[in-house]
Amino acid sequence: MTQYTPDTFKLLAKQLRFELSDEEAIDISNEFEVLIHQMNLLDKIDTSKCEPMVYPFEEETSFMREDVVEQVFTQEEALLNAPQKKNGFFVTRKVVL
Amino acid sequence: MIEHFKHKASVQKALDKALAYQPKLNAMVSFLEPTSQLEALKAIDPSSPFYGVPIVLKDLVNMKGSITTGSSKILENYVSPYDATITQKLSAKGAIIIGKASCDTFGMGGTNMTAATGPVMNPYDLTRMSGGSSGGSAVLVASGVVPMAIGTDTGDSVRKPASYCGIVGMKPSYGRISRYGVIPYASSLDHVGFFTTTVKDAAITLEVLAGRDDKDMTSSNRPVEAYASLLKGDLKGQRIGILKNVIDSIQNQSTLKEFERLCQKLEAKGAICVPIQLNEDLMHAFLPTYYIIANAEATANHSNLDGLRFGVQKEGDDVEAIMSATRTAGFGKLLRKRFVIGSYALFIENQEKVFRKAQKVRRLIVEDLKKALSQCDVLMAPASSQGAPRLDDQSADQLSSEYLIAENFMALGNFSGYPSITIPFTLVDGLPVGINLTASAFEEAQLLDIAYGIEQVTQWADRTKELV
Repeated sequence: MTQYTPDTFKLLAKQLRFELSDEEAIDISNEFEVLIHQMNLLDKIDTSKCEPMVYPFEEETSFMREDVVEQVFTQEEALLNAPQKKNGFFVTRKVVL
Repeated sequence: MIEHFKHKASVQKALDKALAYQPKLNAMVSFLEPTSQLEALKAIDPSSPFYGVPIVLKDLVNMKGSITTGSSKILENYVSPYDATITQKLSAKGAIIIGKASCDTFGMGGTNMTAATGPVMNPYDLTRMSGGSSGGSAVLVASGVVPMAIGTDTGDSVRKPASYCGIVGMKPSYGRISRYGVIPYASSLDHVGFFTTTVKDAAITLEVLAGRDDKDMTSSNRPVEAYASLLKGDLKGQRIGILKNVIDSIQNQSTLKEFERLCQKLEAKGAICVPIQLNEDLMHAFLPTYYIIANAEATANHSNLDGLRFGVQKEGDDVEAIMSATRTAGFGKLLRKRFVIGSYALFIENQEKVFRKAQKVRRLIVEDLKKALSQCDVLMAPASSQGAPRLDDQSADQLSSEYLIAENFMALGNFSGYPSITIPFTLVDGLPVGINLTASAFEEAQLLDIAYGIEQVTQWADRTKELV
């Protein structure tokens, strides 16, 4: 991906499951010029002897917990934000074709 | 000050004031009816630090039964089915949550101009911005509505609005406060933070919020200290590193003059001000590194906002069409732009060249910061180069040193996870400007103590800007 046209960004947006208007795609394309200049500043830095930093601290804080029930939603609570429900189930479009 | 809000009428007074200020500040997204919370106070020890004290939560924080929109359109009707850990902790200490405060959508912004409910105004000048992303929380404390408000900080989203609004804004070390139940932006950079009007109140608040939470596996196991009772404020012998890269890139002469005067006053109190120069190439690469990491993580975090799992569902003939219609209607322009940038960084051929490269530069930046902090107790610099910009100000040159360094350096605290606090120090052209202090990892007690000492020099504790 070396050419950055408005259509490039429309395609990226489509992969992210949203649409960009023509005007928006042109705006992003123009702003991307500035961003590319900024990103080029990273190329000045020698990172050949460096590992990526994924999180701030490397001390271990996670562990496998016992599979014990601690927090339970009622059916009513679980369905609270459902746009459509029927007989205690979520109603949605067919997902598996 | 929190203590001044511990009386029976304070909750109703805060609600009345928040409602009265709403047309001018536009700080609240939703109001909460406090009766059940006030009833629950009967079971709480009256000596608890927040007993009966009104507070607000940033609109990213879940509270069971309340609307939590993330100041977005896509979650405009989302009702929280559970409490965030910090919500439970605050309630257990007697806090009364009167509502949710506006923010940039999902915390993604530095202006509070992108909230679905519109911009938040600065109480010092209603034609100017609050700063963001935690702008609603900041102005509600700055205008004296509540003595403490919760924010979140991924780049400087507590510490920048604190500077613009003349109040204290703190984010502690990464993992010091649980993020369980807080809508994320970028998981490796997100911190819970808070606003108060005094450093002592910040210490009290941190004591309530801090601590390990097994529901947030990134939270720290380190013990919580008695931050408030450890405050002494003696600056004698404290080594304060002056961040030269930031000073050298600020153009506003009044800010520089005021900062120099402050340094002289601190030295008169026995502090030792040490100039610190971070690697200039790293500082210039700082902002793009942040953009790449933050936006890539955000793109992944918000992929579940699709109208099926979360979000106001829009019509479509099939699942794909529903997702696309939902996300197109639900995301604002800035959000769409950020997601596209994030997706660019994660694109398969860019992963090594862009995303991994940024993560490597991040490590070098943090190593440089760590080295700097081995020479001093805290690093200090103005938290903003000047007062809050006007709402329509788009004059910043995004390739200038002032923009790349002075206006964005506080993300050092997010890259590193080190604790960082902004406290007010002066007015520039009639607008507040704060100073920012950053300490080594988990040195919150020392950070707060030095901030407490500086607060006694600036004599700015507990000032609010009431509206008439």
